[in-house]
Amino acid sequence: MQRNINRFLWLLLPVLVATGCDAPEARFRMNMAYLHKNEKKAEAFTAEQKADVANILAALFGTPDQPHLPQGAGLEDVISIDRLKMAAGPVGVDEQGIATGLYRQHCSHCHGVSGDGNGPTAAYLNPYPRDYRMGIFKFKSTGKGTPPTHEDLLRILYEGVPGTAMPSFRLLPDIEREAIVDYVKYLAIRGQVERRLMEDIAIELGPGERLDQSGEYLVGEIVASAVAKWSAAEEEVTEVPARPDDWNESAAIARGRELFHGAVANCVKCHGETQLGDGQRTDYDEWSKDYEDFSKPMTDQEKQKLVDELVELGGLPPRNIFPRNLREGIYRGGRRPEELYRRITNGIDGTPMPAATMKPDDAPEQQQGLTAADVWCIVDYIRSLPYEPGGERATYGQEFKRERM
Amino acid sequence: MTNVDIPADTEQRGAWPHRLAVLLVCATFPLIWVGGLVTTYDAGMAVPDWPSTYGYNLFLYPWQTWVSGPWDLFIEHGHRLLGATVGMLAIAAMVTIVWKDSRRWVKVLSVIALTAVCLQGVLGGQRVLWNNRQIAQLHGVFGPVCFCLFVSLAVVTSQWWRATGRTGDSLQIGNMSARGAVGATVLSGCALVQLILGSQLRHVMGGAGGAGFRVALLFHLVLAAVIFAQTVWLVAIHLAATSRDGVKSVALSLMFLVLLQVGLGLATWVLKYYWPAWAEGAWFARPFTIVNESMPQSLVVTGHVATGSLILAMSVKLALRSWRLCRPANINARPPLNVKGTTLTMGVAL
Ligand code: HEC
Ligand code: HEC
Repeated sequence: MQRNINRFLWLLLPVLVATGCDAPEARFRMNMAYLHKNEKKAEAFTAEQKADVANILAALFGTPDQPHLPQGAGLEDVISIDRLKMAAGPVGVDEQGIATGLYRQHCSHCHGVSGDGNGPTAAYLNPYPRDYRMGIFKFKSTGKGTPPTHEDLLRILYEGVPGTAMPSFRLLPDIEREAIVDYVKYLAIRGQVERRLMEDIAIELGPGERLDQSGEYLVGEIVASAVAKWSAAEEEVTEVPARPDDWNESAAIARGRELFHGAVANCVKCHGETQLGDGQRTDYDEWSKDYEDFSKPMTDQEKQKLVDELVELGGLPPRNIFPRNLREGIYRGGRRPEELYRRITNGIDGTPMPAATMKPDDAPEQQQGLTAADVWCIVDYIRSLPYEPGGERATYGQEFKRERM
Repeated sequence: MTNVDIPADTEQRGAWPHRLAVLLVCATFPLIWVGGLVTTYDAGMAVPDWPSTYGYNLFLYPWQTWVSGPWDLFIEHGHRLLGATVGMLAIAAMVTIVWKDSRRWVKVLSVIALTAVCLQGVLGGQRVLWNNRQIAQLHGVFGPVCFCLFVSLAVVTSQWWRATGRTGDSLQIGNMSARGAVGATVLSGCALVQLILGSQLRHVMGGAGGAGFRVALLFHLVLAAVIFAQTVWLVAIHLAATSRDGVKSVALSLMFLVLLQVGLGLATWVLKYYWPAWAEGAWFARPFTIVNESMPQSLVVTGHVATGSLILAMSVKLALRSWRLCRPANINARPPLNVKGTTLTMGVAL
């Protein structure tokens, strides 16, 4: 009997192996797509140059199981090494019974061990999970080009991203969310350093030339410049002025509608006359454009070749980004009025959604731009859209055109 | 139980073997549920030692700490307690069967079932001691195998089994072709493989890369379609036949479970990975926020796992009963069954 059971277990084994259950030691994957992009700019990297990138990264940031932080770049102020250790490593509990491996337990099947947004499930999700390695995030309180604050990332983990596969982790204890946020920053900064090293090889160095291995250059310059932006994020939070006291909501909505369709804000260009998000639907986001700008005119064959290349290099096939359907009332970056205010003034980083051109409240009428009060009007208008009757695609558009003519 | 007059000296005496086997099945089903929860909440390592619980004997671990403790400790320790209960029931069932049942092969089967459940317990323990996910997965797959064995025990010790075998109602036997039995057996195999694939999907870890997940997902979907088709076919042939006591109802229950399972499977995807792109914008695809490990998510996911085991159990029951009906009541008195030109001597193994 025992033999039979053993035999059964042995029979089972190939099935398990065939479907890939072997969990090899987790390793960071190199950003091959970006490496190749840089090779295209100059020459092919030599084996030593590639090994340099891998070794430098390992020396600075450690491995998924044993992360560490380079000293001397101010990274300690952005990331706590204790929290980092909680989030890193394989799933389990340590001797004190504290959960470890939080990132691999909760995130890596979507975002990938390396934070490349290409975990096992990623290809099936739309939008794709975030690739942290560019350091770009969409929903935050800071302007374009500035990393999110600690609170912004905590908010994402608490609220999730409604209307996408990104779950809310509100049921986790606070300290676990804190730990995971630090891990996300760690992966982002590591990814940014990796990119910078590759750029430097392509741009600064001659063919075959090796990277400077000194701490001064690696930590003092490269890591520090990435970290500087992260530590400055808290100061870069966009102020949200209060609505003026004499606020009349229905007047605001009417004005918001006008602005939304007007030439200055020109939201219709993308969100469409109907606000169903059916305006411009041919663009790509920054993550898709990273390897190659697929929105450039190119033939289908050219595009297919590039896509194949990208997938071969560990990327995901690019997909068009669609402007939001504003009639659903689902706001991925949060639905509070201040959040929508910031979304409009800051735009959505990494996507075509632009930051509004702002002007001071007392600026002359003819000056290009929106005042804070204008933006509040647009916020109120947007928030009224899901409740507006006749939100049907056809009728609304026509009615509106007639009204405006 | 229906009242059939059973001569005291045949096959088996008393109803206890069957009662215990059924109890065993009933206790194992929640065990699988809770085991599924352990995976859902990644609570496998909530208790770092084994067979003790934080140094305590399993049964002496202070229940106050257990009940009021963290959720993952609650389910992991609960899983262990239930597991131990099932182990003891398996011992009781084995002893009763060996003592009361006259059929040698049934005794052997009960010993196999007991061995399996012991092995399963050890696997669970090793999973903890080594903190190893591969063992966890094996443990997760072997659970349903044990469940199948228990179901088999319950089926072959039942009133129905004895009544059918002995009375040898010629109508019933003659009607039952081997097709249905072969079909149900293949279905059982598919259901088991489907569980293995499902556990692959559940244990998806970033480290292994996307390929494994993709392959497992593809096969999981294909096999779902195959199982669905097989079940429809089985129901169709059983409904078409006249006298099929004891298989028609099982086939219909199976159909119900498979339909439920398809629904739960789709819901699992949506509650974990959101609406697929092609469904977005459809009238039913209301936008929402996924909440990790929320009650609905956990219930649906674990329900999907549990229904998977039920389907496996039900198909094993159907297969066994179908073979029983194929089997001539008295092999010597009846010619072998003739199915579509092939001569089959069925049920010799039973
Ligand atoms: C089921 C898949 C899935 C899981 C699990 C998941 N994410 Fe995400 N995540 C996504 C998707 C999809 C997006 C992209 C949303 C978008 O672009 O609107 C995303 C976006 C993000 C963002 C970027 C938000 C922004 O403002 O740009 C962060 C940060 C993030 N996830 C962190 C995490 C962390 C940390 C975990 C683990 C605790 C996690 N995610 C688990 C799918 C997932
Ligand atoms: C160039 C095209 C473009 C223009 C112009 C544009 N948007 Fe967008 N908008 C987008 C895209 C693309 C998204 C979806 C981004 C994402 O989440 O991936 C979006 C998303 C949004 C969202 C959803 C935010 C959320 O949290 O889910 C709002 C609200 C919005 N836009 C309002 C506006 C307003 C108001 C204007 C005019 C001031 C405007 N947009 C102009 C492209 C545009």
